[in-house]
Amino acid sequence: MAIRTPHFPDLLFDAASRLRMWESALLRLLADCGYKELRPSLVMREPMAQSAMRLFDQDELVGLRWDFTEALARLLASRFAEPPPRIAYAGAVFRRSAASWEAVERWEVGCECIQASGGDAAEADLDLARMLMAVPAAVGLKRSLLHLGDAALWRRPLEAEAVPAPLAAAATRALHQRAPHRVREALEDHPSSTRIADHAAFLASEPDGLSGLDALESSPFAALLAPDIERLIARFQTLQALMPPGVDLRLDLADVADLDFYTGPTLRLWAAGATASLAAGGRYDLLYPELGKPWQAAGFCVRLSALLELRDSRPELFEATP
Amino acid sequence: MTVLIALPKGRLGDETLARLAGTPFAPDPAALKGRVLHIPTATPGVEALLLKGADLPRYVAGGVAALGVVGSDTLDELDADLLELSDLGFGACRLSLCAKADVSLDDLRTKAHLRIATKFPKATARWLEREELAAELLPLQSSVELAPLLGLADAIVDLVQTGGTLKAHGLAELAVLARTSARLVAGRGAYLGDPARLGPLARDLTTVLRA
Repeated sequence: MAIRTPHFPDLLFDAASRLRMWESALLRLLADCGYKELRPSLVMREPMAQSAMRLFDQDELVGLRWDFTEALARLLASRFAEPPPRIAYAGAVFRRSAASWEAVERWEVGCECIQASGGDAAEADLDLARMLMAVPAAVGLKRSLLHLGDAALWRRPLEAEAVPAPLAAAATRALHQRAPHRVREALEDHPSSTRIADHAAFLASEPDGLSGLDALESSPFAALLAPDIERLIARFQTLQALMPPGVDLRLDLADVADLDFYTGPTLRLWAAGATASLAAGGRYDLLYPELGKPWQAAGFCVRLSALLELRDSRPELFEATP
Repeated sequence: MTVLIALPKGRLGDETLARLAGTPFAPDPAALKGRVLHIPTATPGVEALLLKGADLPRYVAGGVAALGVVGSDTLDELDADLLELSDLGFGACRLSLCAKADVSLDDLRTKAHLRIATKFPKATARWLEREELAAELLPLQSSVELAPLLGLADAIVDLVQTGGTLKAHGLAELAVLARTSARLVAGRGAYLGDPARLGPLARDLTTVLRA
């Protein structure tokens, strides 16, 4: 029996028209904020991520674009001497997922704000957050949640306790599953295992408002994290004041999925009924220096495939479209 | 909207249902006996779904059920993106390497072609890697303990609760690969998309099932 996985979805009529409509609305939203569209090639020739779809171009192994941020970074770092203007993108990425039923071809719209190192990162982060808050209205999503996370609350204790990289990676996977009991298992006999697992239990509480930080006062790392917590409270209050109707802001202290990539606070857009986050972003200041450029960057990506899936399963969550 | 909780069938299911009896999450006994797909519980708006353990994580990851109870041994064999909210403590077993009573671990280590039968190939492969051993894995679906007796394999990796079945077949436990127990899982989207509803429900369910 032929088994057709991974799958490449075909969009028929309504879904195709909705994708086009959302893509246009989001690119318009970004253009109004000064973001210009850039389209990196669908084929990437650089060293490939494990999840990439690979094929041969004559004798050369190439991969289909698996990530816009990486594709753009390689293009920009090689073509521009100075940080380029604000950038928007739209199109497909091809990425194999651990879950065989998830589509490999996914459609995204997103933006990147790149500055010379030392630029006003706070102002750029706020601009990006404002635009991300406007995404639900642009796609007609009536109710959603914006989760604010900060991986420093997890990274700093791991560094302070000198947890070796493989154990730290296993413990981070466990926290990503919100399983503090697995954090303890992952740290094996490391002397900090009890302290770190206790801390993980505080972080793994359900996303909430600022009251979610109260429990952290009892964490073994409360003193170490005091400046980070103060910064997170200030950021939460700033964003809270800007929230549009229909979008609720929550703190998600266990958002550590991209610990090695994001260098500051992260934002993720969720809605009841979605099986994956609908948009995600944050600051990633290490990417361009790795490519030889003294630049800092932040951005977000809207997962149109996840939105299409949600529209299909929960149409009542969206405004009726003509 | 109704919240669906996926409950396992089989031995773990029996223990789960016994713990839920008389609580707000107790499935309706009449519906349990019938062929009802969505089983009402004592809490309005919360229904149960009975599924085979190996299938259950997919229903939760796919967003059909918001929460579920499943053994950690099953979770470790799948790559489902699930939240594992609590270790419920019950249904505790050892995932062990077992062989005929007259075979030692050193005998297995020195075999030129070691064959291990198991329902848990991923956990077994991880253990073999840690131990720097090479073996042929023979995936079986049931009655794994027969494999060494009938000469299909040199050893097995299987769940051991009391050791009674092993003893009855003349087998002995040579190494414990992992300790397993029931876990409360949640769909990532279901939980993070509606934490105000799912969070308290998960906490209450954990309290009831740990009692």
